[in-house]
Amino acid sequence: MTNSKVGCFRAMTATIPNTDASLPHAFNAIDLSILWSRLISIVDEAGTTLQRTAFSSVTRESADFAVVLMDTRGQSLAQSSVSVPSFLGVLPFLVKALLRDYFPPQQWQPGDVVITNDPWLCAGHKPDIGIVSPIFYGKTNDGRPRLIGFIGCIAHSPDIGGTLWGANARDFYEEGLYLPPMKLFEAGQRNETLFRLIETNVRAPQQTLGDILAQVAANDQGIRSLLRLMEEYGLTEIDTLGAHIIAASEKAMRDAIRQAPDGTYCAEYEADGDGLNRPVLLKCALTIRGDEIWVDYTGTSAAHPLAINAVLNYVFAYTAYPIKCVFSPEVPNNEGSFRPIHVWAPEGSLLNAQKPAPLGARNVTGNLLYAPVMLALSQAVPDRVQADCGAAVWVMVLSGRHDDGREFVEYLFLAGGYGGRKGLPGEPTLCYPTNVANVPVEVFENDAPVLVLEKKLLPHSGGAGQYPGGAGQRFAYRNIGQHAIHISNVTEKLRHQAYGLFGGKPGRRGRLYILTPEGRRRFTPPKGHDTLLPGETLVMELPGGGGYGPPTSRRRLSSSTSKKAHA
Amino acid sequence: MKLGIDIGGTFTDLVLLDEHSGQMAFGKTLTTYPDPLEGILNGVAQITQERGVPLADITTVVHGTTLVTNAVIERKGARTALLTTRGFEDVLEIGREMRYDIYDLFLSMPKPLVPRPWRIGIRERVDKTGRVLQPIDLAEVEAAADRLVQRGVQSIAVCFLHAFANPEHERAAGELLRRKYPHLAVSLSSEVLPEIREYERTSATAMNAYVQPLTQDYLRRFKQALAKRGFQGQILIMNSAGRLTTLEGAQRFPVQLLESGPAGGTMASVFFQKQLASAGVELPQLLAFDMGGTTAKASMVRHGQPEITHHFEAARERRFKKGSGLPVRIPVIDMIEIGAGGGSIARLNALGLLTVGPDSAASQPGPACYGRGGQLPTVTDADLVLGFLNEHYFLGGTMPLRRDLAERAIEKHLARPLGISVAEAAWGIHRIVNENMANAARVHILEKGLDPRPFSMLAFGGAGPVHAFAVARLLGLSRLVVPSGAGVLSALGFLVSPIATEVVFSHVIPLDRIDWPALNERLADMERQGRRFLQEAGLEAGAIEVRRVAEARYAGQGHEITVVLPAGKLSEASLPEISRNFEQEYTLRYGRVLPHMPLEFVTWRVVVSGPAPQWQLHQQVRGHLSTQPLKGKRPVFWGKEWLDTPVLDRYAMPSGERFRGPCIVEEYESTTVVGPQAVVWRDHFGNLIVEISEES
Repeated sequence: MTNSKVGCFRAMTATIPNTDASLPHAFNAIDLSILWSRLISIVDEAGTTLQRTAFSSVTRESADFAVVLMDTRGQSLAQSSVSVPSFLGVLPFLVKALLRDYFPPQQWQPGDVVITNDPWLCAGHKPDIGIVSPIFYGKTNDGRPRLIGFIGCIAHSPDIGGTLWGANARDFYEEGLYLPPMKLFEAGQRNETLFRLIETNVRAPQQTLGDILAQVAANDQGIRSLLRLMEEYGLTEIDTLGAHIIAASEKAMRDAIRQAPDGTYCAEYEADGDGLNRPVLLKCALTIRGDEIWVDYTGTSAAHPLAINAVLNYVFAYTAYPIKCVFSPEVPNNEGSFRPIHVWAPEGSLLNAQKPAPLGARNVTGNLLYAPVMLALSQAVPDRVQADCGAAVWVMVLSGRHDDGREFVEYLFLAGGYGGRKGLPGEPTLCYPTNVANVPVEVFENDAPVLVLEKKLLPHSGGAGQYPGGAGQRFAYRNIGQHAIHISNVTEKLRHQAYGLFGGKPGRRGRLYILTPEGRRRFTPPKGHDTLLPGETLVMELPGGGGYGPPTSRRRLSSSTSKKAHA
Repeated sequence: MKLGIDIGGTFTDLVLLDEHSGQMAFGKTLTTYPDPLEGILNGVAQITQERGVPLADITTVVHGTTLVTNAVIERKGARTALLTTRGFEDVLEIGREMRYDIYDLFLSMPKPLVPRPWRIGIRERVDKTGRVLQPIDLAEVEAAADRLVQRGVQSIAVCFLHAFANPEHERAAGELLRRKYPHLAVSLSSEVLPEIREYERTSATAMNAYVQPLTQDYLRRFKQALAKRGFQGQILIMNSAGRLTTLEGAQRFPVQLLESGPAGGTMASVFFQKQLASAGVELPQLLAFDMGGTTAKASMVRHGQPEITHHFEAARERRFKKGSGLPVRIPVIDMIEIGAGGGSIARLNALGLLTVGPDSAASQPGPACYGRGGQLPTVTDADLVLGFLNEHYFLGGTMPLRRDLAERAIEKHLARPLGISVAEAAWGIHRIVNENMANAARVHILEKGLDPRPFSMLAFGGAGPVHAFAVARLLGLSRLVVPSGAGVLSALGFLVSPIATEVVFSHVIPLDRIDWPALNERLADMERQGRRFLQEAGLEAGAIEVRRVAEARYAGQGHEITVVLPAGKLSEASLPEISRNFEQEYTLRYGRVLPHMPLEFVTWRVVVSGPAPQWQLHQQVRGHLSTQPLKGKRPVFWGKEWLDTPVLDRYAMPSGERFRGPCIVEEYESTTVVGPQAVVWRDHFGNLIVEISEES
């Protein structure tokens, strides 16, 4: 497909009538409540299995996956509850594209499984692999199995070949194996050619294929549970149920948006970019009109030479996420919750990257989008937003050898301070919008030849305010092995600060450097690869969150301690 | 004679058991605040007088209490300090850096039990192998202790990095603290929870320190009060894993007592499983289902064993949200808890859908039908309107219910807005709360890689027997048991639990690099430690059982699964069996194995336990002796229509006689609902057994 089709994709999906009147009245408030919870329970069960069996540490520890149940048109009915925001709206977009451009409805058979990691169809970079299975139930009038919907999941693969995950690929082609939509299984038969191709192009074939098969199994489990439910309730299809679910969610989302004042709210937000001399500018005009929201990123920087470029469906996910947090955090995720939201970025920009722009670390950019969106929303709904956070997350990948020759790869995730909110200070060390657990110090020291010297909150790193920003942290570890450790850094806010809101002060900038055994500081790239020699220490100081509201004359409230516990 | 005492939020339950005759007596008294001991002594006086049994004749008192949980939830523990490795003072506050709700911008993380000024870093460092990199500076420990004591600190937790691999530094610090300040409570992480992962270990150790002074004080007073009234026997305390510990054990590791009450219910289920099997009713897989006023809990008992987990959180910011509490990796009975109880409130949400819970009207103001000012419709209101409950025989008629108020609440908030009848709305509440419980139970069972359908259900708690039939049907179960004594089941569970202890050791090692002689020595040492504890509790060496497990994973994974280790000395030759056990468990959970991936072991556990008390339940009869099992009939709404439904008196049902559903079985503490095409009978122990056929 051509990328231009992605351009206005929200408009393309908004073709279903929104009114209750057009729906058959087959479900009352009680049946609908029960069936809806069951659908969510079905995708959650499938998600739990996927998460627990995955090798990919990102899938497992940070819930970097999603399972979505869709109707015959690829409209989302239920998404697993724990997933990270990157997948909001992505699978339905993929399935609609599959139906339109690759496999029209009559080309699906029971036992088919389609795989792709096309960044423009999936989640914006190649390690995210999408697996889609059709669901059949009963027979059509001419006696063929009847297609009633789709189930799909996306998960972060342990490896996809190419250069190691990071921000340094020069183009799309260096970023590993590209899998256009293809049938991994056809009518239950393994596509051996494709398996062989994947197996021979990735670094950890057993883990990568293992995770792909776990995704297939998660879909299968979801299908089995759905078919049981259909039998129990005597359903013959799910489109009607889906239409009710979508309509109810859409109405709730529209009702919430309608309460906010109409207007166009603009925000500009400058971020580190490469952290050296090429910052990026994110510019957004957010328009609330009636019960809809348009976000236009015109004016944003052009695509970046670093692999931090994002595709539009990924940008949609990370734009819709803060909007949902502000307007309707309780409404379950499905087609309806996102219909009133429209997102646009100019083609070729950082936020609507085209081939062959490198995309590997697009999360760096996606993770920043909440900041201009929240800043714009702060003008419309000041009580419901949050000041800027210190860090979406810093990611550091270490690889090398233990002294006894065993190889290791370790992913570290570190959080900065959370932004202040009306009525509440920012929490120390929490990520937003990402949500990743840290690696315990004792586990890290077992996994890699390192000694951690410090993991400590940075007092006063959160911006002052009536509700101050949360504290960042200092984390330092030394290479105590005999071999050099290869490190890949992805940091943010070394040059820019987390903004405060309504008079709240910005949070402290981050710092990143290496201490040599002689005690000299040396440079290491904010986004890029380096080598940590034996005896050298890497020091990270994570940024603090922004404050909310002007600091009062009272003694500064500290977010990092609680005397209340003993009052 | 043995006495079980369980303090709950509202009631203190007592069970007096004569192990020789199998006769039991039950007692219930109001829990007293702020000192629950008062209520206990009232209850004890009452039950001993009623039965004419002096306290001196009682050999064992088994006690479980919510004291520890409440102290953590209400933040009423001691002024606690924490000594850490320097540079890691904030581990307790940094936590795992993960939000528990990704859509809620306004969430708060639980505040640490020890505030920043009382968290002090000490110069010392041990590496992952236990090697000392920097010797501890005890002068620093002493200076810190002096400062802390001066500021009124009552309890000190010590948690150093890798202390599970080498506890020397913690021990040295502990000795110094105990010597210089004998009145200070001291908790060492290498004693409380010698497991890898510093945040979880620190969290458990800090919590132990936080609740230790008040637990010590309470148990001391408990013992003195009983002694003063003539008790000379042994006091045992229930812990969260359904195991009993001694008074001394409980005072050293009070954090183990967090979930003692709920554990009692599960252990009673273990007991009933054995009892029923002895009467020829084999229920190898049991789902223990406990539904009260605020929550419903479910746990599994398989082949006489409860499922144990080490993932537990105390004092959650949001009760039903995983990750919002303080982690404590102690052994606990694996139990799901959801916001579904008699008091759960039904309402229409923003989407116009009927939802039930998780918030509850609890006992104040309570359901609308209590007539205590509750305005919102609840599950109990629906159960009353549908005819499941008898307004004149709630808690044996001691608490009349107001049907008119229940109807009015449902009419106003649900039926009218939805344009349906009150009965239909009530039926909707009933169905939705049942669905919620069934969904949660299904996920809980599936997560273990098991199929719910072969399970039987054992239902208890005030609302459990009312909803058990419907929940069992949704799960596809075919048998339901409502045990006798369902109203005081936790206290009963205390009397059937074994004395046991679990010794833990973390050592991360690939399977092919294990130093077998060293491991054997370590395991033997752990076993000796456990045996010593049990022998001190008065058990004979011959009666002690040992079970050894390890937590293992494929190298590179982040979650471990529990693998049973072969008995006896381990060696290279044990590898095939260990791998086989791992693969079996892995397949059970995940449906596949990864043949060429190396295994890695993380944590080793030795569970040393005494025998579960053996006695036969005696048939028991309560109060009135009516001879007519059929009390009458009343209209009950079964979804589509009202049916004139027989109402049975549980106490008058002749054992073995089968009654066809639909019917309602009434008893003092609860009501058992039996749907159409099911059959109910009472066995000679007094248990109700409901057989559910496919088509019901």
